Amino acid sequence: MVDAFAYVPAIVVLPFVSFLVALAFGKYLPKGGAFGGIAATAGSFLLSLWVLATVAGGGQHTETLYTWVSTDGIAAGIGPQEIELTFGVLIDPLSALMLVIVTLIATLVHVFSLGYMNDEGERDLPRYYAGLGLFTASMLGFVVADNLLMAFMFFELVGLCSYLLIGFHFREPGPPSAAKKAFLVTRFGDYFFLIGVVAVFATFGTASFVGSESFPVLAEHALNGEFDAWTPFGLDVGTWFTAVGLLVLGGAIGKSAQFPLHTWLPDAMEGPTPVSALIHAATMVAAGVYLVARMYGFYVLTPTTMAIIAFVGGFTALFAATMGLVKEELKQVLAYSTISQYGYMMLALGAGGYVAAVFHLMTHAFFKALLFLGAGAVIIAMHHEENMWEMGGLKEKLPVTYWTFVAGSLALAGIFPFAGFWSKDEILYEALVHGLNEPLLLGAWAMGLLAVPVTAFYTFRMVFLTFHGEPRTDTARDPHPIRWNVKGPLTVLGVLAVVSGAVNMVPVQKVLGLEGIDFLHLWLDGHYGGFSELTSHHYADLGPYSSGYIAGGEIPTVLIGAGVSLALALGGLGLAWKLYNVPEPAEHTAALGGIKTVLYNNYYQDELQVRIAQVTAGVASVADTFDQGVIDGVVNGVSSVSLVSGDRIRRVQTGVVTHYAALLTLGVTGLILVLGVLGGWFL
Amino acid sequence: MSIIQSSTLEPLAALPAQTGGAPLPEWTALGPILALVATGLLLLGWDTVFPNRRTNTELSVIAAVGALVTLALSGWYLAAGTGRPATGGAITLFAEAITIDGLALFFTAIVAVVTALVAVASRDYLDDHETPGEFYSLVVLAAAGMALLASASSLATIFVALEMVSLPSYALVAYLKEDRGSVEAGMKYFLVGAVSSAIFVFGISLVYAATGSLVLSDVAAAFGDLDDLAGVAGVGVVMMIGGFAFKTASVPVHFWAPEVYEGAPAPVSAFLSSASKAAGFAVAFRVFTEAFPIADAVAVGIDWPLVFAVLAVLTMTLGNFAAAVQTEVKRMLAYSSIGHAGYALIGLAALSAGGSHNGAVMGASMAHLFVYGFMNTGAFLFIAMVESWGVGRTFEDYAGLGSVAPMASVAMTVFMFSLAGLPPFGGFFSKYFLFAGAVFNGFWWLAAIGALNSVLSLYYYSRVVKALWIEEPTDALSAVDSRPTALYGAVIVAAVATVVVLPGFGPVIETAEAAATALFG
Repeated sequence: MVDAFAYVPAIVVLPFVSFLVALAFGKYLPKGGAFGGIAATAGSFLLSLWVLATVAGGGQHTETLYTWVSTDGIAAGIGPQEIELTFGVLIDPLSALMLVIVTLIATLVHVFSLGYMNDEGERDLPRYYAGLGLFTASMLGFVVADNLLMAFMFFELVGLCSYLLIGFHFREPGPPSAAKKAFLVTRFGDYFFLIGVVAVFATFGTASFVGSESFPVLAEHALNGEFDAWTPFGLDVGTWFTAVGLLVLGGAIGKSAQFPLHTWLPDAMEGPTPVSALIHAATMVAAGVYLVARMYGFYVLTPTTMAIIAFVGGFTALFAATMGLVKEELKQVLAYSTISQYGYMMLALGAGGYVAAVFHLMTHAFFKALLFLGAGAVIIAMHHEENMWEMGGLKEKLPVTYWTFVAGSLALAGIFPFAGFWSKDEILYEALVHGLNEPLLLGAWAMGLLAVPVTAFYTFRMVFLTFHGEPRTDTARDPHPIRWNVKGPLTVLGVLAVVSGAVNMVPVQKVLGLEGIDFLHLWLDGHYGGFSELTSHHYADLGPYSSGYIAGGEIPTVLIGAGVSLALALGGLGLAWKLYNVPEPAEHTAALGGIKTVLYNNYYQDELQVRIAQVTAGVASVADTFDQGVIDGVVNGVSSVSLVSGDRIRRVQTGVVTHYAALLTLGVTGLILVLGVLGGWFL
Repeated sequence: MSIIQSSTLEPLAALPAQTGGAPLPEWTALGPILALVATGLLLLGWDTVFPNRRTNTELSVIAAVGALVTLALSGWYLAAGTGRPATGGAITLFAEAITIDGLALFFTAIVAVVTALVAVASRDYLDDHETPGEFYSLVVLAAAGMALLASASSLATIFVALEMVSLPSYALVAYLKEDRGSVEAGMKYFLVGAVSSAIFVFGISLVYAATGSLVLSDVAAAFGDLDDLAGVAGVGVVMMIGGFAFKTASVPVHFWAPEVYEGAPAPVSAFLSSASKAAGFAVAFRVFTEAFPIADAVAVGIDWPLVFAVLAVLTMTLGNFAAAVQTEVKRMLAYSSIGHAGYALIGLAALSAGGSHNGAVMGASMAHLFVYGFMNTGAFLFIAMVESWGVGRTFEDYAGLGSVAPMASVAMTVFMFSLAGLPPFGGFFSKYFLFAGAVFNGFWWLAAIGALNSVLSLYYYSRVVKALWIEEPTDALSAVDSRPTALYGAVIVAAVATVVVLPGFGPVIETAEAAATALFG
């Protein structure tokens, strides 16, 4: 029997090979290397499915593939003791599921790119497909990473690839600037992450995710007093773990575009649309949430971190949603919805809803990829016009795009029974039942709940403006036709957006008392396969939360929660219908008054960051002065001191040999005297 | 008495002398030294038979081949484990006057490498010289003295070997008889050397007076029981340190170095500052670890690691500070060579009785001298090349050389950055291991001073690089018309070795540390 786990490295390597091939031979290949990319990602997808099936059959796997720094270095007397830096793979239910999601989306994005890039006659296609390959490979490497340092390295590669792809159209002014912004803002978060990685090594001597010697397990022991973890300044272990958790969280907040490091993501729309789909659904942005989920066993130990994650998530969910209300460009709306949806996932993680977060990560991957690819189809049809006010009435011309886009939108808005409903409802439910005893969490929940109608409103505002009403421009009256390579991926994702909620129908189970239909719960709880310290009930046991219920019990809480969020979503949808589902929709934004300007300007976030950047530039110039004046000064000072004292030395070096003989003899005599006195030879 | 044991004979079996897998006779352990002596005699013979040749190519080839044979022999013995604990320990000959062990072979290899490079490079440097035969034979015989110095294990042998190195060196420095600088440098070298030898031999006599023996192991045995004679022995030890300081160009006997290195022909400067210095360190490592055990010495108040610590700090600081103000490249390199002696002294300074990393730090110092053999020799040979072009000696004269001699300038850049200890060159690793070893042995302050000095050294090394590549060329560069093939080859080989030693650093540091650890065993 061939073991699927033996092929896990191949999942990562295949897209990497396609990157190399596209880079080296892309010019000579048909379609600029697209087929190689499709074959590689499809191959990875099939292998991932096999791995998934093996895990479902009761498997789990962890293996160190390569030790690049080990205790062997210490034999030479160098390095602190007992630290190994390794590359390895960890396959458990979480990573197996994520592998399937990433490879599926990547494959579909590759196919879609045939329509979006090749058919549109874009130039530099080899560079494009090389970027996609490397991007996919980096994300897959991140997913299978079995330790924090390896995760960090691939995390950085993901950031690099996003820079390369967002700035793909580097000849125009916008994309390079957006790419730089994305890179710098996420780097800012990664800076904390890097310190966090070092802190984890310093504290535990390992950064492994899994096993009895993994850092989450050691942290657990340390809190019980069974393991002696290193802490700086004599800090209490709990406090120090909170600090470490927050440091690593910095990376996740940057990558997952959480407040206040979300500003890069809307700008990242400058990249080609398939890249946006990849970034938003499966790779870059997902990486942050995945990171928190991956080391969830560490986070659940520190209640403060959990509360901060939840609150940041809830706040981002609402905050980003409100900014999506007034946007005019299709992709901008989707960008803010992404920020908002990842806010939900963070809320879930912070609220102890590990399964809910992974569930939403999955459903969101499907419907957001769908929406972006749908938006890409619209953009193809509209000859690269992205302003929704220039569209309208595309419903009849682009039926496949329309229906799949609606399916995705219903999922995003959280309308029963589409996928997003189930996952979002579970997040809010978890936040509510855990939040009844935690005021801060309850606040986060309230913000999450408030974001529901807002989400539904902007989503359907987008749908109605794009597809309904009368065509508002000539282009919209006569759109460019789209081909199979666009429709195919849309159809696959459309189906998934409708049905993927079925893997985890917890409310149905609770209300009807049906056991065993919460497959994702069972999956992540290791019922099929997995490591005992990486299961959801293990996390729940460690977690700081207890459950409370309203209206006298679990079932009423479930029903009321689902009912309220559904009602709010429908309300938002209805308002959008009323305002924008008319033949000649008006902007209606004047009613918002002054708030409109604030929303248009994204709460002046960018301005604020520019201001901060200016302050930072001030700090930087101070640092520069410090560096130039003090650090270099020390160096130069050493030099100038040395120039002076060097002169002295030169004066001693007279060139007269008798002086040398005298100095030499005096020197040796001096040594004898000093040492003799110290050693007591003359007594 | 130990012998090369049969367990290590796979590589030996290939040799015709080797029949039936029996061990080689003990005297063959002297092979590397004998090869150098034979080469020296052959050179003299060749020069006698063909006294009026217009070319020195044959001599250069003979010297280089002889050095490479020595290198091959010592490398083979090192690989086979001759004289190492695994094969029965050090091989001692002539009533312990000579010891062949890892340390001896390691330093013989360094000397052989430098000799080969210098021999090849001198072919062009001495192109139209009248009497090249003397030059090559003196170089090779001095190298034989250095190899012997690394192997000597009796104070008498040590003194003889030291003079075997010194006397040819004086002649070599003064080799350019028509050149005032060369002759003056030779005279100064000789006078300072004479004083140092006097001090050294006086030190030996005092140690003998206190311990009653010249053989290192017997001296060590007597050191545990000095009683009233501790003061006598102490004065002797410090005076011996003075003698070693002369060979290694360390404070307080460093005065000769800048002037000799500057005045001597550049290949001789390369030879002295790399090989001669390494040999001085070899004998110092051996004498102080074998004859004056730290625990015993410190117990009677002879705290020689402290002396070396003081000398290390003074030497590296003085060398680097002085190098920073030089206007001539060769003189800068001379002071930098003093600075590097300071770094290498850490290998003797950062030791403590029973220190867990004694072997590591001394081994790292040996490895540093190994890398230094390449990068410093290469740098001086580059100077030799520039001298042969007649471009000039100051930093300004080097401006724009990169545009007319790019290959050699790349090599010089490698040497400069490696000497400064920048990655990814060999000098980075050796310094890293040296400082790390000092830190782990508890001498973090010594490592810190060393690191500070390295930072400073970057300043003056990068001045050379800046002159080569960034500054505008001057008219004087039209003098660069010849392409001295052999000199070029030697420089490039040294540069390649400086880079290649990085991936190959594992075996070097392991061999060095094993050899050093054996001394403490």
